[in-house]
Amino acid sequence: MKITGPFIIYTYDGTIDGLFTVVFRAFQSRSAPREILSLRLGTQIPIGDITAVESCPEEAGRVRRGIIERSDERNLRLLQVAHLSESKQTDMLLWKYLKKLFAMPYGEYYRNMLDEDVYDLVQTARRVKKEVHRFHGFVRFQRTRDNMYVAAIDPDNDIVRLLAPHFKSRFPDRHWLIYDVRRKCGVFFDTQSVREVELEGNAFELDTGYIGQKARALDEDYYRKLWQTYYDSVNIQERKNSRQMRSFMPGRYWKYLPEKSKK
Amino acid sequence: MKEKVLLKLDILADAAKYDVSCSSSGSSRGSGKGVGNARSCGVCHSFTEDGRCISLLKILYTNNCIYDCAYCVNRRSNDLPRAAFTPEELAGLTMNFYRRNYIEGLFLSSGVMRSPDYTMEQLNEVARKLRNEYRFNGYIHMKAIPGADPLLVREAGLLADRLSVNIEIPSEQQLLRLAPEKNYDTVFSPMNLISHSMLESREERKKYRKAPRFAPAGQSTQLIVGASPETDYTILKLASGLYGKQKLKRVYYSGFVPVNSYDSRLPALQQPPLVRENRLYQADWLMRFYHFRYDEILDEKHPVLEQGMDPKLAYALRNPHLYPVDLDRASYEEILRVPGIGVRSARIIVANRRFGRIGFGHLKKMGVALNRAKYFILCRELPARSNTLNSSQIRQRLVKSSNGAGKQLSLF
Repeated sequence: MKITGPFIIYTYDGTIDGLFTVVFRAFQSRSAPREILSLRLGTQIPIGDITAVESCPEEAGRVRRGIIERSDERNLRLLQVAHLSESKQTDMLLWKYLKKLFAMPYGEYYRNMLDEDVYDLVQTARRVKKEVHRFHGFVRFQRTRDNMYVAAIDPDNDIVRLLAPHFKSRFPDRHWLIYDVRRKCGVFFDTQSVREVELEGNAFELDTGYIGQKARALDEDYYRKLWQTYYDSVNIQERKNSRQMRSFMPGRYWKYLPEKSKK
Repeated sequence: MKEKVLLKLDILADAAKYDVSCSSSGSSRGSGKGVGNARSCGVCHSFTEDGRCISLLKILYTNNCIYDCAYCVNRRSNDLPRAAFTPEELAGLTMNFYRRNYIEGLFLSSGVMRSPDYTMEQLNEVARKLRNEYRFNGYIHMKAIPGADPLLVREAGLLADRLSVNIEIPSEQQLLRLAPEKNYDTVFSPMNLISHSMLESREERKKYRKAPRFAPAGQSTQLIVGASPETDYTILKLASGLYGKQKLKRVYYSGFVPVNSYDSRLPALQQPPLVRENRLYQADWLMRFYHFRYDEILDEKHPVLEQGMDPKLAYALRNPHLYPVDLDRASYEEILRVPGIGVRSARIIVANRRFGRIGFGHLKKMGVALNRAKYFILCRELPARSNTLNSSQIRQRLVKSSNGAGKQLSLF
């Protein structure tokens, strides 16, 4: 099948179904995208030949089945994880990758890490997973007066949903909430199941991630102080190596870490 | 009450910081009816200004100590504030940190208070409280106190994920000089007891699935580097034996921080030997992940790791007959021995070369350090006989190109 272009700028709703619908339409109309823009984060829409695509579960499902046929379930999950990356090229990378995957029905394309796009896709997914792993450590809960544990996060990628399984198995006996303050989306656990929530108003102070004084448990400030004391005490002055500390824990993550923000 | 705990935390975390071990990996347990779990990959929760990971609440039960070891900040002859927790305080602190996701678990060590048995009993009491009263299933790393009753050490192993006994000084002769109240027997008997009990529990669990697990994350130890005159060769040989015979999970190397500079038995150091420590870790990785034997890295004629280059590069320059390695044909083990190629890249190369010839572009994407690797490989851009430099020429170029004197090195 011949695909012409690239001419068209596609916009979609930012969901994986939306992206798969874009892929479906591009194949159907045989017109390759010049750019694919997710509208989720208030993207500026440039002037040009724009096709706004609405997410269609049926068409997305066909793309899904096609992916599994030509690779496997695991590869589909890899694509879904990579899609959570918010680096600018991700959507176009996924398009380039899928174009090649669908051009080689029986090939082993998706296993060939010597192919640039396969490698980049694997790397993109790896970066997302790395951030998930980092946040298993960097989430900081505060206890509320009604004994709930709540945390604000602001990760690079849209990972809040991927954090839920880890914390569900770690803290199965408490209510907890992890909230992505920039994307305004959180996961809430009520000791039974996890559900996605959006909060009204600002429950968290944006610069510190703290909840208001009235909402905090009475011992919350005390334990935060203990933790800050601990952080300072375990440092070995003679071995100071801030560059290394920053490479493991980049400055952009500090604002919601009480040991680094010291407010 | 609260102020007291704050003060104790300050004293006893500061006193515990010279133990470099921090890992929370190697165990996996579910939360069951309680709280917490342990993940086999380990999780870092923060990083200190010195670049080390904080995974566990690393703390001493007490910094009171009946011993007077020259290299230790908590020796009895030092005049410093002393404190001791109660089991309840420490268990409560651990739970409150854990619930807030500050930590992955507890690393409990201690000075020796009254007697080894008494101290071990206190540590066990903390772990018992956590496991039984708080139903805590997170990670616990405990010190086995040298000289404690084997029954107490066994109990510790059933409560903890990992146990460790620190050897500290890498030869018995020097240990006797710096810590006259200790000897290798007091260190190695608990260590051997632990490795024996681990093996036993593994066998038991093959027969009965519910047999109790003994230190499921294994045991580790620490060697202080630079407080005594052992060579790197002696240290690596010792470590290699510990991995092989005692089946240790990790050996940690701790560059000696000159804490008791008044003690004339210790060398006068301006700075902890951080470069040397880093090279030892690199050599340790070669043994654990790159299939190197200790006597391939160093031997009696070359007993010291070169400071100016990593040990794999030094090995390659000493063994030019093993290179260049053909990336399209060589075995995984051979590719692992190329300077600049890591475990992940070697795996990718071996799994994907059937799709085509490996080239510079691929290697760069994988993160291979081409500036080093290019002298030791054949690939698309480097056909046979293109690599004609000899060892001393390569050495000259590499030492010139990476002359980052004064650059800070990465610990792990």
